[in-house]
Amino acid sequence: MSEAATALVIDDEPQIRKLLRVLLEQEHYRTLESDSGRQGLSDVALRRPDVILLDLGLPDMDGLTVLERLRQWSHVPVLVLSVRDGPEDKVAALDAGADDYVTKPFEATELLARLRAIQRRVSGAAENASFEAGHLTIDFGSHCVKVQGREVKLTATEYALLKILALHAGKVVTQKQLLREVWGPNAEEQSQYLRVYMMHLRKKIEIPEGPDRLLKTESGIGYRLVIPPSNL
Amino acid sequence: MHSVIKKDHTLQLRALSRATTVREYVLAIGVTGLVTIICAIIEPLTGYLSIALLYLLSVVAVGIKLRRGPVLLVAASSALVWNFFFIPTRFSFHIARIDDLMMFAMFFIVAIAMGHLTSQLRLNELAERNRQQRTAALYELVHQAGLAHDLDNGLRAAISLTETLFGVRASLVLRLPDHSLAAETHPASSYSLDEKEYTVAAWAFSHRMPAGRFTDTFSDSQALHLPLEGGTAVMGILSIHPAPQTTIGLAEKELLQTFAVLIGTILEKDELLQGVKRAEIIESSERLERALLQSVSHELKTPLSVVGTGVDALTKMVVPNERSQATLREIQQGLRRLHRVINNLLNMTRIESGAVHPQLDWCEVGEIIAAAKDLAADVVGSHRVEVDLDRSLPMVRIDQPLLEQCLSNLLLNAASNSAIGSEIKINARVADDRLVISVRDEGKGVAESELPHIFETFYRGAEARPGGTGLGLAIVDGFTRALGGSVTAANKRPHGAEFVITIPVETLRADVMEKLA
Repeated sequence: MSEAATALVIDDEPQIRKLLRVLLEQEHYRTLESDSGRQGLSDVALRRPDVILLDLGLPDMDGLTVLERLRQWSHVPVLVLSVRDGPEDKVAALDAGADDYVTKPFEATELLARLRAIQRRVSGAAENASFEAGHLTIDFGSHCVKVQGREVKLTATEYALLKILALHAGKVVTQKQLLREVWGPNAEEQSQYLRVYMMHLRKKIEIPEGPDRLLKTESGIGYRLVIPPSNL
Repeated sequence: MHSVIKKDHTLQLRALSRATTVREYVLAIGVTGLVTIICAIIEPLTGYLSIALLYLLSVVAVGIKLRRGPVLLVAASSALVWNFFFIPTRFSFHIARIDDLMMFAMFFIVAIAMGHLTSQLRLNELAERNRQQRTAALYELVHQAGLAHDLDNGLRAAISLTETLFGVRASLVLRLPDHSLAAETHPASSYSLDEKEYTVAAWAFSHRMPAGRFTDTFSDSQALHLPLEGGTAVMGILSIHPAPQTTIGLAEKELLQTFAVLIGTILEKDELLQGVKRAEIIESSERLERALLQSVSHELKTPLSVVGTGVDALTKMVVPNERSQATLREIQQGLRRLHRVINNLLNMTRIESGAVHPQLDWCEVGEIIAAAKDLAADVVGSHRVEVDLDRSLPMVRIDQPLLEQCLSNLLLNAASNSAIGSEIKINARVADDRLVISVRDEGKGVAESELPHIFETFYRGAEARPGGTGLGLAIVDGFTRALGGSVTAANKRPHGAEFVITIPVETLRADVMEKLA
């Protein structure tokens, strides 16, 4: 991660903007602020931030609209920050092109971890030949998956799922996205397949009495491969 | 109300009965006889040729009133009688002169032709009149029933119109909102069906076919039951109860069926209109609630995030000073509690305004329990939580966030009502398509007198711990209800309370899951 990454905060609450600035500058981000959707969009175009923190409840236009417009010409990672906490709100934002979602009120450590995760994805985790998180290692070249150094046999589907989650490590991946990428566009509604495979995958790669689950379910939304703090 | 049909006249669409037919033939013979007597009187004055015209006149006259059979009978019998009584040689069918023979032949042909033509004319006229009456009847039905402001009045008008037009008694049995047939006739009906007739009506309803009298099914019943066919569904049954001896002709039956279709369409139109209105009301109230909830939750949570983020930032800034760090931790703990209270209030508002709409999806029970533990982690962390899960538990179709919230509330409740370090036991099983999850603590239990009240909103037990809003369990109750299930509480021996959530679910069995994988 670049030390001088620029973060753009689009939020109409001045207090939130100020505090996010404090928080982000502690983490050595350069911080920009916009107080409306329109202002935010033009700031993205002119000042090219590396990551965006977007509130959904903006005065001039809905945050989802901002996202949709933004996604027509930019791939900059977006973390949505909102008080809307229903799964349908989160799915709508993720479908509109958000990279992840944090509900207000949030914990600073969680927010920063999510920010790092969505930036890492863009900075090219996919090109790495291998992946490591906690007790899990994946060698993308040889399709070899190891748990605590022991090789685990995965079916092709299980491997495909794990690979997608690993490539997006730390970031939520929606059910729809997983179904589409593994089973094809016609399977978007077949959530029971996904559940069954995730269950099998979990049995194979998680340590029963392990401290934290590696594959976390985001209820009503999808899954997240959690990077243990020791990995960061 | 203005009416285009004279109400004291029933429709003249009936097929003529056998008795009428016989009467017509007798009348035809009578007319021929009468004309013959007149001819016998005037023949000496006019000669036998002129009276042939009198016979022709009678054929035309009869043709205006009677049907084709009797008319042709009059034509043929006139020719024969004229021949027999008047054409020389009299009192014999023998005709002596060639011009008389020609005359007779001509007369025969002309009489038959005239009889045929006049009766044809009459038939056409009758058919035209029937068509007019039919159109008028249908117009009347649409006018009175279809355009009535109030459906009940419209149906009353439809029934009385049917009764006066067809000279029958009529009743309506309508479809209920759940698409089954109502058990009672509509109040506008002039008689109610007995058990046997209702059975026939129900058959007609479920088979979408006429049944009862004058049909092939249940033809021994008293009434004719016609399905009210709307555009897409059968909206009920129109039962026609004619007097015991009368019959209903084909044309009449057809018109009745058209009536039934019209009434069905009117009912369907009304139902669709109601549906649209209902949907509009629901939509606007939901929009309002959503907007209110969103703005309230925005107003409550924004300052909470400001404080939270501020504290988080401070935690990193402050020089590692144990006392200030401890103070900050207390503030964070307080914020989490405040956050929980706000969420509880918002959830309770959602429950009470009926804004909880479960989104069912396949879930793994173990996952839900783990997520619920995470949600309650900051409080439950000081207890030992034992999860007892059947390994072969099937996947269930449920709203995961709702159930998670329920379980985490039960865990919080258990943790705050039992000693730190004591055990909280979660057990989950699926039996008879029901998901049963119990949460048991080792606390003092609930006072028997309080058991019936603990799920009430804002209810707080006499010995409740300080803090807490009395909302947690009410939310569990509201969410489980929204999921179609229930929650119960009971005291367990030797001590402790047990809360059991029971929710009907669709399941995906383990062996099916193996096959999928």
